[in-house]
Amino acid sequence: MFMAIRKLPLHRAGCLMGGLLLLLASGRVFAAEPRLFSFATSKGLAVKILQDNDLPFIHAQLLIYLDGSTQNYASLAITQLAVMNMFDRSLNSPPSSSLMSLLQRQGGDFLVEQNPEFVKISMNLLPDRLGSFSRLLKEIFTYQSFHLNRFNLSKEKFWPLYMKGRDWKKEIALMLAYQQLIGNFYFSRGFLLQEIINGINMAQVRSFMLKTFQPDNALLVLKGKVNPYFVLGMIEKDLPSPDAQPARPRRIPPQINAARKIFILNVNGSEMPMVYWFDVAPPAADAALLPYAIGNFSLFGFPGGRIYHSERNRFLMEGYKVDTDTIHLRDFTLFCNYLRINYGDLENFLLLVEQERKKFAARPIERKEYLDALNHYIGQAQVRTSRFSQDLQAEIDRFHGQGTKAAASRPGPELFQEVNFNRVLQAMDEQMGIRPRTGTRERGIVVLVGNADQILNSLKFLKTEALELPMD
Amino acid sequence: MIKARFFLWLLFVPLIHLGGQTLTVSSFALPNGLRVILAPSNNVQAASVCVYHMHGARLEPPDARGISYLFQYLMFDGNENLEPFDHVLFINKMGGIVSGRVDYDNAVFYDLLPAQEINQALWLESERLKSLRLNDANIDYQKNQIITRISRLLESNPAFRAQTWVNAQVFEGSAYETPLYGDLSRLRSLGNDRIRDYYQNFQNLGNVLLIISGKFDINELRSGINKFFQDIPPGRRAPNPAFSAQNPRRFHVAKNWLLPGLKKHFIVYGIKAPAKIGYNFMYFDFLRTYLTDPRLSRLDHILNTVNKLDVEIESGFTDYMEANCLTVQVSSPKRFSLEKAKYIIEKEFQALASIPISNNDLRAVRSLMEIDFLKGMVSLEERCQRIGEFYHMFGELNFFDVHLRRLRRITPYDIIESAKKYLGKENQVILNVYGD
Repeated sequence: MFMAIRKLPLHRAGCLMGGLLLLLASGRVFAAEPRLFSFATSKGLAVKILQDNDLPFIHAQLLIYLDGSTQNYASLAITQLAVMNMFDRSLNSPPSSSLMSLLQRQGGDFLVEQNPEFVKISMNLLPDRLGSFSRLLKEIFTYQSFHLNRFNLSKEKFWPLYMKGRDWKKEIALMLAYQQLIGNFYFSRGFLLQEIINGINMAQVRSFMLKTFQPDNALLVLKGKVNPYFVLGMIEKDLPSPDAQPARPRRIPPQINAARKIFILNVNGSEMPMVYWFDVAPPAADAALLPYAIGNFSLFGFPGGRIYHSERNRFLMEGYKVDTDTIHLRDFTLFCNYLRINYGDLENFLLLVEQERKKFAARPIERKEYLDALNHYIGQAQVRTSRFSQDLQAEIDRFHGQGTKAAASRPGPELFQEVNFNRVLQAMDEQMGIRPRTGTRERGIVVLVGNADQILNSLKFLKTEALELPMD
Repeated sequence: MIKARFFLWLLFVPLIHLGGQTLTVSSFALPNGLRVILAPSNNVQAASVCVYHMHGARLEPPDARGISYLFQYLMFDGNENLEPFDHVLFINKMGGIVSGRVDYDNAVFYDLLPAQEINQALWLESERLKSLRLNDANIDYQKNQIITRISRLLESNPAFRAQTWVNAQVFEGSAYETPLYGDLSRLRSLGNDRIRDYYQNFQNLGNVLLIISGKFDINELRSGINKFFQDIPPGRRAPNPAFSAQNPRRFHVAKNWLLPGLKKHFIVYGIKAPAKIGYNFMYFDFLRTYLTDPRLSRLDHILNTVNKLDVEIESGFTDYMEANCLTVQVSSPKRFSLEKAKYIIEKEFQALASIPISNNDLRAVRSLMEIDFLKGMVSLEERCQRIGEFYHMFGELNFFDVHLRRLRRITPYDIIESAKKYLGKENQVILNVYGD
């Protein structure tokens, strides 16, 4: 081509070069649309990079998977202690490991969240600090800097440290819901008692780290103005090879039991109690999720949901608003509907929700409600493109759906046209158990967090159903 | 040859420009005086419409304090064409978010919604400006709601009561001295006609900025703005008093409260901080981040890790334009721990005023502040608010690069100077709240 250019008259060569540059320039302009690059490193780490040249910093999320379906209180305590020892700022002040030093040097803008299926480490860093990011990953995957004194302190002050700066009530409610759904927990004595925490030793935590914190058991999602190949090269260079371990057993999706259960988590304090209402739906990568989401919105969505519809409902809900979080797990999705409420209104609210769920059988979801919910979800997906941390969720969900039947039918804007009205009715029946059946129980896990005595005093009809769990 | 080079150079110019991080902000004014500010972003599918009132509680007449705070609630209580909370319903249905707040210096109301629905937000905001429902029934209802809520808070929450007292002491003699909700008994007896009259000042178009950020088509947006806002009567451009930065305090104030039945003793520190319009604000913000931001929290480190006092630390910052207050609340069931904490905090403040902080700490705090600033500029509604504040304070629109440059140039000596000026004993108000 260059030979050809040399033979061209100068002004034509200039035009051709100009054209090429224009193409390059237009490529740069198009690059304003984030582009996705997916890799798997030779060490087994799955990497997804969303190249967004308009994001002036880098946002990264590292997910390390736990085996939620075999979880028990001891394994839960081990995970919590490991994460606390690695990332808790007050335990690691001044930075007592190179991991914490590296995080602090990046600015310390990181957050560690945990659910029964994975530990998620989110961090933000400036583009000129990208050089140390792969070292940071290496530190996470090879972490063994547990110190006995610090470890003992973390056991001794487990709950104050756990509760500091996080929505621990919601996290514990989620764990309880999960444990009830997968059904291998016995709820008799209390939630994660101190004696269980005291019984954990450092060898168990080290062994957990070796088994779990491995590149081939993790997903890295990164967004920002980065060169994906440069990032990949850096990670390849610094990442340790996974320790020789027996092949990971194939995951068997847990059997879900969504039958109604009401838990009371006894927490001392003068605050109003919290109500968490969990409903199960298919995983995020499954097209079948949307009908469930539409049902949930038609019931709880503020201010158009059915619990706010009639005069009577409006009176009962005066001053209250239910918020909804959608928690995406690998095998299913949990809708977490929650609100803070006076003790005196607690039972009325629970009965109201129950009543409105049952009414769906007599008065199925109307076309207008269905379209309202659809519009809401389409709009919400668009609004989330302006939230740098939220628009990575779609890639995480897609990764979780890989290799399953669900992955073939990836939800996207086109899917919204395909949601059948009858499918919504069917999904609502499955989710909420709205049609009367014999021998089946109502659906949904309810967790009430507050002073157990006051909660029990405020319950009349539901008192016998509720199971009280103390917390140390 | 020269022509070809020139042609190539012309093509390179846009490439260089695109590689930069500069945020482009532009503005124009409607004939009725409404100033419109645009900050486009094409990498998102959402837009934020923000109405920024350059009029806050500090401009209220002294005998009518709390009116602006009342508007914070009345703004969602319907208008000529919309019922209460219809505004929220419309935006929620589209998957968007509505919010707003009134403060001493300004008031901000915004909608974040899908980009193609931007005209809906323009309509909703114009309705709010044109015909806010201010009848006796809804004014009385909102007054009662505020009085009940604040009275309950003052009765049941000693920390809220303590912080209100500390703020009043720190801002003694200035407009920030009175709480935002004013005097509750005066608010109760305030005539509704007075409230309706005052709304004319609040919604005066001469003091309103319409700020739009996110994805939009400029032509469609302009026609939408003209359609919905041009028939609003022109505002009288009331000359707002210019901001003037207040000086640090000159006298130390300390007081003890005894509250029977209190489970945990606590101390509230109130430190008068520089005005947001002042040059020193950024340096004090550095100190605030270093000492109290939970991601770094030097105070937590020295009190709990080094000295093992086992105290709880909470902090707050006011973010006002003429002066600010950093409150730090330290609580513990042991009074001895609190007394020791006071001594250690005092020593730490003295050290900050005399010894340069380490390079590692300097870099970490600067990085964190830069990340927070950039995060704010990425969030569409926060970007609108910051642009509005900057325009309100300095009459300029493009501050992004200047702010970043200043941030990156903070030195340990700037921090020492700021600590000397603001962390001294005479600039502190201390309230000790003890139980039995």
